[in-house]
Amino acid sequence: MPRFEYNHGGAISSEPACQRTESEKLLKTDAMSRKSVIRVVLLMMVLCLTMLGTSRAFRAPLESVANGSRFRAETDSGSGNDSLESRFSSRVRPFLERYCFSCHGEKKQKAHLDLSRDSTVHAVANNTRQWERVLERLQADEMPPEEASRQPKPEERAAVVAWIRELRDREARRNAGDPGTVLARRLSNAELDYTIRDLTGVDIRPAREFPVDPANEAGFDNSGESLTMSSALLKKYLAAMRRVADHVVLKPQGFVFAPHPAVTDTDRDKYCVQRILDFYERHKVDLADYFLAAWKYRHRDKLGGPDADLNYFASEKMLSPAYLTLIWQTLTDAEAEAGPLAVLRKRWRELPTPPGASAEAARRDCEKIRDLVLRLRSQLKPEVGRLQVKGISEGSQPFVLWRNRQQASRHRVYAGNVAADARKLKEQLKGADADLAKLFVIEKNDENKRQMRRALERFCSVFPDAFVVSDRGPYFDPKAAGQGRPLTAGFHLMQGYFRDDQPLGGLILDDQQRRELDALWDELNFVTLAPMRQYKDFIFFERAEPPRFMHDAEFDFARSEDKDATSEAKIGRLAKAYLDRARKLGADREAVEAIEAYFTDISAAIRRVEQTRLAAEPSHLAALVKFAERAYRRPLSSAERDDLLAFYHRLRRQDELGHEEALRDTLVTVLLSPHFCYRIDLAEPGARTPRPLSDYALASRLSYFLWSSMPDDELLAHAAAGDLHQPNVLRAQSQRMLRDPRVRGLAAEFAGNWLDFRRFEEHNSVDRERFPAFTPELRQAMFEEPIRYFLDLVQRNRSVLNLLYGNDTYVNRPLARHYGMPQPKGANEWVHIEDARCYGRGGLLPMAVFLTKNAPGLRTSPVKRGYWVVRRVLGEEIPPPPPTVPELPKDEAKLGELTLPQLLARHRDNKACAACHRRFDSVGLVFESFGPVGERRAKDLAGHPVSTTAAFPDGKEREGLDGLRDYLREKRQPDFVDNLCRKLFSYALGRGMLLSDKQALDDMRAKLAADGYAFGSLVEAIVMSPQFRNKRGREDSPSNTSTGRE
Amino acid sequence: MMNPHANKPSRRTMLKGIGVTMALPWLESIPFFASEGASSATAPKRFAVLFMGNGICPPHWWAKGTGADMELGKCLQPLAPFRSRLNVISGLFNKAATGVGIHPGQTGNILSGAALQKGAVLRGGVSVDQVLARQFGEETAQPSLVLGCEQPITGYHETNFSMAYSSHISWQDANSPVPMEVYPSLAFDSLFDNQGSRRTVSILDRVKDQAAALQHQVSSSDRAKLDEYLTSVREVEKRVERTRTVQKRAEEKARDRGQRTITMRRPDNGLPEDIREHMRLMCDIIALAFQTDKTRIATLLLCRDLSGLFYPFLDVRTAHHPTSHSDHSDAYERVTRYYVGQLAYLAERLAAMPEGDKTVLDNSCLMFLSNMWSGSRHDSSKLPVLLVGGLGGTLATGRVLEYTKREDKDRKMCGLYLSLMERMGVKAGRFGDAVAPLAGF
Repeated sequence: MPRFEYNHGGAISSEPACQRTESEKLLKTDAMSRKSVIRVVLLMMVLCLTMLGTSRAFRAPLESVANGSRFRAETDSGSGNDSLESRFSSRVRPFLERYCFSCHGEKKQKAHLDLSRDSTVHAVANNTRQWERVLERLQADEMPPEEASRQPKPEERAAVVAWIRELRDREARRNAGDPGTVLARRLSNAELDYTIRDLTGVDIRPAREFPVDPANEAGFDNSGESLTMSSALLKKYLAAMRRVADHVVLKPQGFVFAPHPAVTDTDRDKYCVQRILDFYERHKVDLADYFLAAWKYRHRDKLGGPDADLNYFASEKMLSPAYLTLIWQTLTDAEAEAGPLAVLRKRWRELPTPPGASAEAARRDCEKIRDLVLRLRSQLKPEVGRLQVKGISEGSQPFVLWRNRQQASRHRVYAGNVAADARKLKEQLKGADADLAKLFVIEKNDENKRQMRRALERFCSVFPDAFVVSDRGPYFDPKAAGQGRPLTAGFHLMQGYFRDDQPLGGLILDDQQRRELDALWDELNFVTLAPMRQYKDFIFFERAEPPRFMHDAEFDFARSEDKDATSEAKIGRLAKAYLDRARKLGADREAVEAIEAYFTDISAAIRRVEQTRLAAEPSHLAALVKFAERAYRRPLSSAERDDLLAFYHRLRRQDELGHEEALRDTLVTVLLSPHFCYRIDLAEPGARTPRPLSDYALASRLSYFLWSSMPDDELLAHAAAGDLHQPNVLRAQSQRMLRDPRVRGLAAEFAGNWLDFRRFEEHNSVDRERFPAFTPELRQAMFEEPIRYFLDLVQRNRSVLNLLYGNDTYVNRPLARHYGMPQPKGANEWVHIEDARCYGRGGLLPMAVFLTKNAPGLRTSPVKRGYWVVRRVLGEEIPPPPPTVPELPKDEAKLGELTLPQLLARHRDNKACAACHRRFDSVGLVFESFGPVGERRAKDLAGHPVSTTAAFPDGKEREGLDGLRDYLREKRQPDFVDNLCRKLFSYALGRGMLLSDKQALDDMRAKLAADGYAFGSLVEAIVMSPQFRNKRGREDSPSNTSTGRE
Repeated sequence: MMNPHANKPSRRTMLKGIGVTMALPWLESIPFFASEGASSATAPKRFAVLFMGNGICPPHWWAKGTGADMELGKCLQPLAPFRSRLNVISGLFNKAATGVGIHPGQTGNILSGAALQKGAVLRGGVSVDQVLARQFGEETAQPSLVLGCEQPITGYHETNFSMAYSSHISWQDANSPVPMEVYPSLAFDSLFDNQGSRRTVSILDRVKDQAAALQHQVSSSDRAKLDEYLTSVREVEKRVERTRTVQKRAEEKARDRGQRTITMRRPDNGLPEDIREHMRLMCDIIALAFQTDKTRIATLLLCRDLSGLFYPFLDVRTAHHPTSHSDHSDAYERVTRYYVGQLAYLAERLAAMPEGDKTVLDNSCLMFLSNMWSGSRHDSSKLPVLLVGGLGGTLATGRVLEYTKREDKDRKMCGLYLSLMERMGVKAGRFGDAVAPLAGF
């Protein structure tokens, strides 16, 4: 059903704004949507000629398909033009003069329309949009109006109608493939959010607080006509881009973006600490994993093949090969057995053997061994003393750090009393482990004692008391660990971190992992200036807090506020004064050494940070240039690069901003630049028209079509190589992109806007008291269902007909509960339900999101639901309801004797209403077995049994969803396919459809049918089309505007 | 693209060279603004918070009577000249700052009433000063001044709250405090060099240049789209520039005519050796900023909670926090009186600045408060609050308001904040734990 979407805000018609604008409003606010719902709900009592008229207009394009080929034959012969010209003067112009000019001529321009101006065929051809309307009104017998004194004869009318169609089709062919005008435009809010996500690696959503983007005629918010800029919005952009820049974390090499702002000290702490904790979490050691891997290796003949070595079993579970080797040796080597080692080996030997025992059973036993090892090991923690000097707080930094170091160096050391410890361990072995107690009996000979000592030493060395200490308690209460003070040194009041992960580094990590961890700790100091802050807090604490070691005047020079407080000279001076006084107070050698080490270490750490910071600046600038290139989605010219850096230097020199401030501000200019937040295809001077897009522009067009976001590195690499425009590369890339998770952008933005559920996450017109099941989680799940479904269709290249006829769907827990399906196991898990029909679901139509969105709260709305199907899914144009439409009761329970279907039937008795309503009421009635939030039901809220039988527009009676599907299959499938094609094409190009797109649409439909309706063939047809790959030249020549573009 | 400003000397260097700023009082710059199309002859309302950590000296913190006849306890004596413009309020509190352990948990929410989160990850709530700053931020050079006379610290307290809560009372959102300026010189620069707006102009300048250059490379239809963008940039820039240039022009004209201008020497780099000097400079900067309408909101942390400041000039040898543990002592009385003296100093400065037939103080509200009533008992079940100034005639003064005996729901600090917001024209149905303004205020 080829039909060109021109009839928007008609200049000819005096009727209210068309239905499309009405439904666009539905997108905007809930308040408005409620109002519109009421308006759409019922068209009663009002005689409305326009409706009758348009209902004929709706049929008319069907005829034009048949007529098209006839005209083509005629015009292709070459005589078409002449014949058009001659008929214009012989038949068309006289017709207009006689029947039209009195109202739409030079003297009078009713509806602002002057038909006399287009006095040549050329002029008419340049104004096809207006003539399309003339065509509609003529076909509808709507013009001239009934009351006009002169009425044309049917054959006169037919001749003019034929002429206009012919001209239109000629123009369509003549400009077939015209790229049309695709305006420069800013990124839509959604595109901006996705692009920032892909550019920075974190989901900052700068457009969160922007006003909703308006949609274009095709219903999408991605075209230049609708995406405007204003000073109010620009201010929001400025603020938003500043927020993005606030996420920058400068690193020793380059910079990254944190998931949260990183401007204040506490923000930076949070970022760096979390990265280290994440590393520890990734490398967490579970001894049971190692015992199990060793067990598998022992039984490798049966479990992994005789050739599998330890490394094989280590890599299988991402374990450390080195540590697995050590564990294996500990379990199996020939050393004499005693104490804990004997315990371990005994239990190890007792593990069940395959095939009798499964890996799961062995795993459970390995966990028992692990727990036993940990229990024994916990008895063997070394005692570490405290340094004490009268007058110095036990919590002073040098002493706390000294103690931390002692502990950190002894995680694998055994230094206890053998006999006492053997007794202690023996006491642990009770109940099921009582058989092991005898292994701790020490006989009265030295050799036996030595053996026990060696066993204890080896046990402690292989099994450290901790691999990592990530959350230590404060120094005065070491037991209060694990309270959310990660990596702290355990000071009181003072800021300070302490790294304690030697066993992890020594036993588990390989070289590369160790380097990674070292870098994370360097980063912590670099980013947070931890050493400087720690030292300043030291000064405060020693001066102000009891016992106020630095109370006397000799320490007055040391003030944490002073900018040079952390200079080498000042630290040296304080070290001397501090040590002098400590010695005077009787500090012993160990204490003095601890204090000396403190000042040396902290000064070195501070110097290191200062030097790295300075050295890092050039790398930040290099990263800035790279960032700008990615942001602009193309390489920078050398002038652009120079200009960018010059701006940074100017900020530093002239405005005296610091490095970081200047860098952030420069970054803001990149993000605010039209090169970033606009999509502009630069034209080369004097370029021919149409001309191919550059490979970089093509990369962007492709990525914003399929991902709603910027091109990735692979796409840009092809652009750089200059081969993206090659059909095979373009095809391969688009296929790759369709499989990428980022294609969710297409599902949310294309399907979401096409099917009008994009803003459902904010849907608030459900009465939560009457429908307590409608929780925020369920609403989110409803929103997610069509996205998952569409995504699956795209990624697996399934037939688009599944949208109508599919048996399957996706659900998570809340949705499964709502649908009465078995619930998935995982709390956040989505599962594919192959056969959803037995639950009354499957495909788009019965999805709760649409049923809920198109119900006004406390009752269903067959009108809205039916309208949604024919308007959104099938693409049928329906005029707006007349302005005075009486309201239905808002609550289904208050309709009285009649049911909603019965009420609706009444207004269809009215011919005027029926003209439109017969086209969608029936389609909506089949959904009556679903309540206002899409729940299945047998009775409505007033207690009446629901009926889902309806007389369809073709006169046939059908029942329920299956009946609707039958109807679609028999009568409307071409409408659906046609609508999907033009919607997707419109979305891809960022403009409405033009006359000249007819050929491409025809080809697209043919290809789709030939490819079994696979979604991918639609995308391929689009990206291969000349419209997609070309753009108009720099100057829009008049002949190009003649296609009746908007 | 060469920028014509590229080789100019730095603006701050110029500022340093002069060493003095000149600015016009708000009222006198009105005609200049009016000529640029901005017209508002109603004097702006200003709000300042002065915070002292660790509580006050309870036995000497009292007031009786009304207006000029008000009797004041020893600690409040510095406010004697302002009795008729003073409100002494007792008994208000933040529920979330009680029962959570001492110090940081009693402090970080003093201006927000929000519950605070323990451990490494900070979480609180936006503070009243920042809510107000958002409201007026666009009309002035700086949305707010957030100053401190003591460096913040961020370790852990034994209650497992971060010490960041002890150092920061001004919060931009639930997760982040507002970075606090402790250097008078930098606070001065940010204000009198209009640093915030200057940075905005630099950014917009560059973006504008880029858009203009692009105009030459695109098709005519795209040019229209870019034009829309360029116009938007220009408009925003013009608005920012107007505040800057108009003020500058007004000052130049005033100087040419020998008109009275306000001057202040730029404070030296680094921190003043003497805390008295430090506090005085910060108060001067706030006073001048209010008078010249560079900002309308200021928060000054005179000292933090768990403060390590010393007061040799008060003959107190221990640091602030240890001294507060003897809060009934003469020493702590002197410390408290000294802090109240800072409030009096700022009030005095503002009272000496005429604004029409009133003074800047009359159009302001200065709020002094501490996080505890008693430092020895770490008691935050009621807070000491002083208000000076009539907030443009919207606030009755010369009163002693006692809320201690009221029910908890009727003595919320956040209720007071709602009342003040209301008077400053900020509509908020709720703030912190309050859903209604403070009754009887």
